[in-house]
Amino acid sequence: MNINRKIVHALIVISILFLSLIIYLTYFELFTKDKVIASSYNRRQFETEEKTLRGSIQDRNGTVLASSALEKEQQVRKYPYGPLYSHVIGYNSKIYGKSLLEAKYNDFLLGLNQISMVFGLRDKLSGNMKTGNNLQLTLDHKLQDKASKLLAGRKGAIVAIQPKTGEILAMVSEPDFDPNDQKLVKNWGKMVESKDAPFLSRAAQGLYNPGSTFKILISAAAVEKGMADRLFEDKGITVIDGKKFSNFNGEAHGKINLKTALAFSSNTVFSQVGVELGEGTLRDMAGRVGIGKDIGFDIPVSESIFPYSSMSKTDMASVGIGQGKMMVTPLHMAMIAAGVANEGQMMKPILVSKITTNDGRTIRNQKPSELYNMMSKETAAAVKEMMQEVVEKGTGRNAAIKGVKVAGKTGTAENEFTGREKNREHAWFVAFAPADKPQIAVAVVLEYSGSTGGSIAAPIARDLIAAWVKQ
Amino acid sequence: MRSISKSFKPIYGILLVNLIGFVLLYFYKKPFEKITIYIGLTTMVLTSAIYLFILIKKLGDEYLFLIVSMLASIGIIMIYRLDRELGIKQVIWFTGGTVLFLISYFVFSRWNLWSRLIYLYAGTSLVLFLLTLIFGSDIKGANNWIVVAGFNFQPSEIIKVLYVMFIASYFTTPEKLNIPEITLLERKISVHNRGVFIACVYMFIGFLILQREWGSALLFFIVFYLFLYIYGTGLKTLLFNGAMAFMGGSLGYLFLYHIKVRIDIWLDPWKDVSNKGYQIAQSLFAIGAGGFFGTGLGLGRPDFIPEVHTDFIFSAICEEMGIFGGIAVILLYFLLIYRGFKIALSIREPFGKSVALGLTLMFGFQTFIILGGVTKLTPLTGITLPFISYGGSSLVSSFISLGILQAVSKKAL
Repeated sequence: MNINRKIVHALIVISILFLSLIIYLTYFELFTKDKVIASSYNRRQFETEEKTLRGSIQDRNGTVLASSALEKEQQVRKYPYGPLYSHVIGYNSKIYGKSLLEAKYNDFLLGLNQISMVFGLRDKLSGNMKTGNNLQLTLDHKLQDKASKLLAGRKGAIVAIQPKTGEILAMVSEPDFDPNDQKLVKNWGKMVESKDAPFLSRAAQGLYNPGSTFKILISAAAVEKGMADRLFEDKGITVIDGKKFSNFNGEAHGKINLKTALAFSSNTVFSQVGVELGEGTLRDMAGRVGIGKDIGFDIPVSESIFPYSSMSKTDMASVGIGQGKMMVTPLHMAMIAAGVANEGQMMKPILVSKITTNDGRTIRNQKPSELYNMMSKETAAAVKEMMQEVVEKGTGRNAAIKGVKVAGKTGTAENEFTGREKNREHAWFVAFAPADKPQIAVAVVLEYSGSTGGSIAAPIARDLIAAWVKQ
Repeated sequence: MRSISKSFKPIYGILLVNLIGFVLLYFYKKPFEKITIYIGLTTMVLTSAIYLFILIKKLGDEYLFLIVSMLASIGIIMIYRLDRELGIKQVIWFTGGTVLFLISYFVFSRWNLWSRLIYLYAGTSLVLFLLTLIFGSDIKGANNWIVVAGFNFQPSEIIKVLYVMFIASYFTTPEKLNIPEITLLERKISVHNRGVFIACVYMFIGFLILQREWGSALLFFIVFYLFLYIYGTGLKTLLFNGAMAFMGGSLGYLFLYHIKVRIDIWLDPWKDVSNKGYQIAQSLFAIGAGGFFGTGLGLGRPDFIPEVHTDFIFSAICEEMGIFGGIAVILLYFLLIYRGFKIALSIREPFGKSVALGLTLMFGFQTFIILGGVTKLTPLTGITLPFISYGGSSLVSSFISLGILQAVSKKAL
């Protein structure tokens, strides 16, 4: 019967529609759901948050840096050291949301993994409060405190790394802010509008011209090209393609080798070395240390940049003395120093070393891993020796510590004020120690300080290194 | 007796679901309310009694009612979990619905005149539509409610049944719609009965659009169009009506703000998630929160979804009973529709055949339209989920339809 055949067609249409519903639902559950339910309009998220006691955050020795407690039925996030960790841990506020580690590790802090969802059902039924997981950081509270005191409120950043493991020991940025909720509410409006950008984690996100600290990498490239023993003529000033490159205060050093040129941060020599190395080698070196690449870190980090499409001779000379258009973060500069210290191997920076449940089970353990192979062991050894000379005899003498061999490099970086206003340069110092068995690498930057890296940044690095090495 | 005890098995499943559901609700909702137990018992006793009645009196297909009472049970459990008062009302409606189911079964079987009442169906519908237009009040953005003695009543739900009867009558005896030749300016104009029929259908759809019942309008059109296809009215008619639908849809999208909004939200609900896209976003959050196995009854937050007890009940089921629970509900509907098709295919009597087909298509597409809508597979048009959504009009109309289908199934045996 004709009609019955067509009725079957209608049945087929409906079957296909219903089947597509089932397939679509399964697809939604498997693939699109995660993105959808993470929306901030999903009130269920806050629901779980209120029913979970947020995990705590500790330093490498177990000092509690952030924890949650119940006060009058309300959960309160406490940061006992106030602003000290504001640029590492960030804040966790019902009003303003979350930032930095509090944001990145939110799911862990709330214990939102699938397994605990199943086992958490018991708590859910009984109304008991669930507890989240705890984070252990690689930071050392004493060192962090020391770094903050050394910076003493001046705008800038300090980063300290363990060269062998990539563990961050201290990371301070100024200006900072108090992340405790009451203070945050009180100061929010002022801080958002502030020109000083107190919410910018300068250590990981501030991009600065590296200044003469970049000569470390130029030296490495020069050593690779066999220029280590060559004698250069330093007359205090040189002209490349009509542009003048002069030493600090115009001093002339005479006939010097690469080591001495680095020790006294000779712009005359390094501008010429930059040109001789050429665009290819400069680019290659920048790439090898991760400039222009995503480092990948536990908190948001800016990418260091090398923004040349093609380079003229004056560009190469500028890069040679570290003043070109490239920009680096203090974290990255510390990693580069640590890389030299670690025989040319740059390690992946680690901030969160361990995640444990409330009853002490470890659910994640971060092991050190190599990020980039910057240079050969031999080159690294040669550069290390040159950097020791900087501290022993050159511009970095202020970083010398009795009984500890320190390797370092000063930097005084130009910025948007250069040429318009005097005394607005950034002061840099990067270093590591002890030179024969490095335990710590440090980068210090002071914004718009108007002073040289050797005079104000080096002493900070010295005191910080001394505090760690003599511990 | 042996055959009864043998085929009694599926009902154990339904009773078990009710038992587990209501015991859970009793213990979960503090303070303990005895009413929970009464509600559960009423549902279980009623379901078993009517099922036994169907078996013993041999009232045709024994599975139709089983499938539907499973759906209704899930609905009652879910609605009661969302809102105790609405749950109690829903059980009352369910009781009334089952009574009407039996009444419509007997009324439809008793007399044989139903295929001859085509003018009555069209006329009653017209009156109901006009009453809605004149006395209708605006509830939830659709102007399709009449308030009688404190009861909100949705005439379009009853019109659904009348509409199927109308279509079925036409395809059984098309000549009933023949109208005499009209003499206009000395020229004789004759209109084929199919023209009259199509005009009547468009009148139905036109009224629904006036009341902003987009979902029902779409549903009516789909059923009408499939009838045109199945009863072989020719390619020309199909093309003409297809073109009309396409034109209507395009004009609606261009000029009717409501339709444009619905399609825009479907394409991207996140653009205006705090406002227009809020409802569908909440629905997706609920479905996502449930995962495959659900949060468990009473442990999710489906109450975050606006209108969760009517149009969005499926999202609540998905949240607390999981996607697997949701898929089980879809399969139950599929079983119901399959039984309906089986009846339509096996019966020889033309009127019964088209009635069974029409009611089945109604159930099938209504389910798909709302399920597709709340899961964002298709644009959302407000329409109830048969037998599960909260609402007296919807439940009553669905049970009347089921009673008629049951009566036809008896003839099919």
